Amino acid sequence: MNARRRLAAALLLLAGPALAADRTGWLERMDRALAGSSYVGDFVSESAGRSQKLRILHRVEDGQVRERLISLSGHGRELIRTGDEVVAYLPDRKLAIIEKRPGSGQLLGVLPRFAAAPAPWYEVIEEGREAALLGPAVVVTLRPADGFRFGYRIWIDEATGMPVRSELRDPAGRVVERMRFTSLAVGGTIPEADFEPAIDPAGLRWVRQAPTPEPASVAWQAAQMPPGFRLSVNGLQAVAGTQGLVNHLVFTDGLASVSVFIHAPAPGTPPVVGSGRAGVASAFSTVVRGHQVTAVGEVPPDTLRYIATGLQPAGSDDQP
Amino acid sequence: MTERVKEQLSAFLDGELPEAEAALLLKRLDRDQELRAALSRYSLIGSVLRSDGDMPAAHGVAARVRAAVAREPRPGAWPTRVYRPVAGLGIAATVAAVSVLLLQPRTEPPLQASAAPELAAESGVLVAAADPPAALVTEPEPEQAPSYTTPPAVDGPGTLPAAQFANYLVAHSGYTSPLARSSVVAGLIAADDPVTDASGVPRHVVGERR
Repeated sequence: MNARRRLAAALLLLAGPALAADRTGWLERMDRALAGSSYVGDFVSESAGRSQKLRILHRVEDGQVRERLISLSGHGRELIRTGDEVVAYLPDRKLAIIEKRPGSGQLLGVLPRFAAAPAPWYEVIEEGREAALLGPAVVVTLRPADGFRFGYRIWIDEATGMPVRSELRDPAGRVVERMRFTSLAVGGTIPEADFEPAIDPAGLRWVRQAPTPEPASVAWQAAQMPPGFRLSVNGLQAVAGTQGLVNHLVFTDGLASVSVFIHAPAPGTPPVVGSGRAGVASAFSTVVRGHQVTAVGEVPPDTLRYIATGLQPAGSDDQP
Repeated sequence: MTERVKEQLSAFLDGELPEAEAALLLKRLDRDQELRAALSRYSLIGSVLRSDGDMPAAHGVAARVRAAVAREPRPGAWPTRVYRPVAGLGIAATVAAVSVLLLQPRTEPPLQASAAPELAAESGVLVAAADPPAALVTEPEPEQAPSYTTPPAVDGPGTLPAAQFANYLVAHSGYTSPLARSSVVAGLIAADDPVTDASGVPRHVVGERR
């Protein structure tokens, strides 16, 4: 009896590390499926009192990623991503916004992914299996350890690794956003023509990044960061609609990410101080040393405030 | 919402509406679906109550509304589930939110020189909400759910121009995880026109879950 108990204890000890090693197994599978496979699906996104239907087309061909997201419930707004360039079409406003992510080479391994959710800050729990859209799905919960980040509950299709359903939860466990595929086809080929915008681009006004005239201004650094977050990108970038260069800093805890945009205010423009929100993304604006600082990200608003108010010009020892 | 009601609200918020009319107006809010929908769509309550000087007009308005509400005999008659989004803030805050919306058109939104004015005015990106993303618990399942869309952007002095927010969102979306990107982009390309369900009651936060 005693020996059996000892054996059971030993087995448990052995099982512990094995389970830990597999902590992110399904999440890795999902990351690979999302980034590396081709798929077409319709999904419903529900947040902040709004429910909208969207279609996603994602194609990986010869290492080139193309993605198209179309709003099915409104005026046909859509967003088309080709490699590092993204174009948002807003036909109801007769506008198109073009944005190019600079220097993609440096980004390898930096882009957030679910398998990179760091252990102390997210508890990963495999809840079990449930019938879902495509068949049995593994339900995985990522529970945040503090109030600086959101949690997730994801239904991962066993056969394809695709997240057929997901919930974004606030630190208290309440659902902030719910996403659910109503149809999804994985694999196969998607013709090039499907990545053309449905609207006639000819009648649109284009908002693009301004050419970059002056070299650079001040470098910025974070005096305080939420635990587990690190700086992953720090550069100057042109942002559509903003004159001059913008300091763009990206902070990530491996899964969640926050962008901070810093620029000198345009002459005659009143400073912006306050918060905003679009879907699950929030924004927080403040002024630091005469510069406009805006943090944007899919994290709780307090996290944005914490990061934004802690920024200061590099070399400055002052407390924020 | 008719012009007449808008005028009444405006007068009320300026403290110029006779008390008897003010009481009627509050009652109208009680039963006017469109008015309630507008309240729920805009999440300005936090901005108004927590504004640290960035929305100067709001303070006086909030105070006036609070005073009016103090005189209002039956604030408890407001349907609970409609106003759950502003739980703890109450009717005064809700009406204050309307005031900001109504006062906005009088001010020109600050614009970046190269930003598109029409986008800043009403891009469909909500820019003035200080509230955290509202918790969401709804039944039935999403595909049967009524559609809600992003309200027109509300701009004023001290708020982030919608065009700039949209540009930032596009720029930020290149640095998010794929799943989060869908969420961020969904917020960006949300459509404009609000739709309410058959009862006209906006679905917002209707409870907590787990």
